[in-house]
Amino acid sequence: MTELIKRLMFTPSVSGREDKIREVIKNEASPYADEITTDPMGNLIVRKKGNGKKIMLCAHMDEIGFFVTFIDDSGNIRVSPVGGVNAISASYGEVVSENGTYGVIVPESSNDVPKWESVYIDIGAKTKKQAEKKVQIGDFFVPVPKFRKLQNQRYVGRPFDDRVGCAILLEALKEVKSDNDLYFVFSVQEEVGGRGSRPAAFGIAPDIGIVLDVTATGDKPGSKPMDVKLGGGCAIKIKDPSTICSPDLVSKMREIATEEGIKFQNEMLLFGGTDAASMQVAGKGVKVGAISIPSAYIHSSCEMIDMVDIKEAVKLTVALSNKL
Amino acid sequence: MRELLKKLSLAFGPSGCEDKVREIIENEIKDKLPKGATMTTDNTGNLIVHIPNEGKTKLMVNAHMDEVGFMVTGILENGMLKFGCVGGIDPVVLGSKRVIFESGVKGNVAVKPVHLLTKEEYKAGPRVKNMSIDIGATTKEEAEKITFVGDYFTFDSDYIEYGEGFVKCKALDDRLGCAIMCQVIKDIYEENIKSDYDLYFAFTCREEVGYSGAFGASMKIKPDYALVIESKAVGDIYGSPDEKKVSILGDGVIISFADRGAIYDRDFVRHIMSLCDKEKIKYQTNKYISGGNDSANIQKNASGAKVSVLSCASRYIHSQSDVIHLEDFENTYQTVLAVIKSAVPTKE
Repeated sequence: MTELIKRLMFTPSVSGREDKIREVIKNEASPYADEITTDPMGNLIVRKKGNGKKIMLCAHMDEIGFFVTFIDDSGNIRVSPVGGVNAISASYGEVVSENGTYGVIVPESSNDVPKWESVYIDIGAKTKKQAEKKVQIGDFFVPVPKFRKLQNQRYVGRPFDDRVGCAILLEALKEVKSDNDLYFVFSVQEEVGGRGSRPAAFGIAPDIGIVLDVTATGDKPGSKPMDVKLGGGCAIKIKDPSTICSPDLVSKMREIATEEGIKFQNEMLLFGGTDAASMQVAGKGVKVGAISIPSAYIHSSCEMIDMVDIKEAVKLTVALSNKL
Repeated sequence: MRELLKKLSLAFGPSGCEDKVREIIENEIKDKLPKGATMTTDNTGNLIVHIPNEGKTKLMVNAHMDEVGFMVTGILENGMLKFGCVGGIDPVVLGSKRVIFESGVKGNVAVKPVHLLTKEEYKAGPRVKNMSIDIGATTKEEAEKITFVGDYFTFDSDYIEYGEGFVKCKALDDRLGCAIMCQVIKDIYEENIKSDYDLYFAFTCREEVGYSGAFGASMKIKPDYALVIESKAVGDIYGSPDEKKVSILGDGVIISFADRGAIYDRDFVRHIMSLCDKEKIKYQTNKYISGGNDSANIQKNASGAKVSVLSCASRYIHSQSDVIHLEDFENTYQTVLAVIKSAVPTKE
């Protein structure tokens, strides 16, 4: 499964530009799907038909990054962030564009905390004309993908958010044997405000929606108080500032996890949000819950995850698909 | 089209009070509707013209009818009015400006003269809460005869063409889009244009207060594609560095790839650019990502739509004098027409 995660991570696709990652996921999913569609916004919807409940399982394909907005006469490239990119982490780091052009992202001053207005990308071009051969306004860049194993089952790199969620859905798709009508949705534009999952949920009109996404942890210096630890198992979301998960669904999720002997933690997240927020209010409303993967240093270039949590998340996804 | 732009821009229509603008548009196009077309007003007040082409890809062309304005929130004993802004208005543009009510009553924005300001007040800059409206009433009773709490008013402005092709007026945002849509509907009628699309023209309400008109309209239409026609605030003259100028007045229609509310469909954007190249229509891209518009709601409504936005560059937007260039206006119109005449975009 680490190979799959890595492959997904090394296919850069920022919000609104998910074409490449969609192709990779589509190829991976097609042997196991009854039906695959792409909706107008670009959400990939993989269906496994059944006569039971209509369940939408959702992970987002997009990642944070930058859009090129301007190229000056000396070939320096100005960008605008897509989603909540950590400017400190990105600065002085390597970046790569959608067509494979490498560069570095640099703040104008090395003394201040970098602001997006004062950083630029240098691809080594001498002139605007030279830069424009490689880069057009509207193209995207991302911090260079990274993937490295550390001690225990821990991995560091980017973007785990939310390629791990996509990988978990793909694994679950392969394993699941269920009477329920399952929709595995790989959504677009989550990082800019859950814009993709709302129309996807409107189109599907599911009975239940489950989101797979990363969450923060409370076990690192400076963390906000939080009862989630890296490696403590997958997390069942109770609430974050964007969503109050349906209480009966949360109870049911815990019940099933306990029955199956799946290691889980209770998630109360004090900041951030997921696709669950927009799914919940789509159409006539959807009961939502979320399986979260604990991650340290989210939206930086060194996101960290623990493989233990991911394996538990796969088990819980499969169990919920069968038993809900 | 300039006469219509003038008429529409001078019309009274802050968000939630678009009736007069809608009436002008209805009168303008009711005799120019192509055969089979329908014109309806929905519950929110959106005016929707449908030129059917059954079974074909649905394209929603969109411009908003409303403008930024003000609402009376209180009447003081001395006959002065307290007010709030409808939509985003920088208080800097308000001092001593003429205003006009729906009833035709005129007034002026009253601010404390500079020599009476305390140091703190001067430093803090203009604030709406420190301003009031003078409508020439000297008592509360007098004022209550001609206005009420909840009454709307807008900038009182003239339509002036000046320099080489510049226009200034209030509410060019987004009456220019409405004027272009009216003209395109007339063109379809007069030149008997057959579009590849099932066409909807939505003149929407309440864009300036969070795109709620477009929400209802797009939920009803459920378009496959949407083309939003807007005006866009540009920073070409404020000493901004090149990378923050957004776009430049007179440099052509702005074909953007994203704003703060939506990331547009890339293939649709490229399709429009290639149409402009083919038709030799002058266009520019946006150099800085800012603002938002109806596309934010249309894109993620119902099962989602592929959106793109065409903008006409505007200085001093949301003030008594929005300024645009007529050449950009013409280029924007030509681009809309080109899209309507073109085949549905395919992936490269």
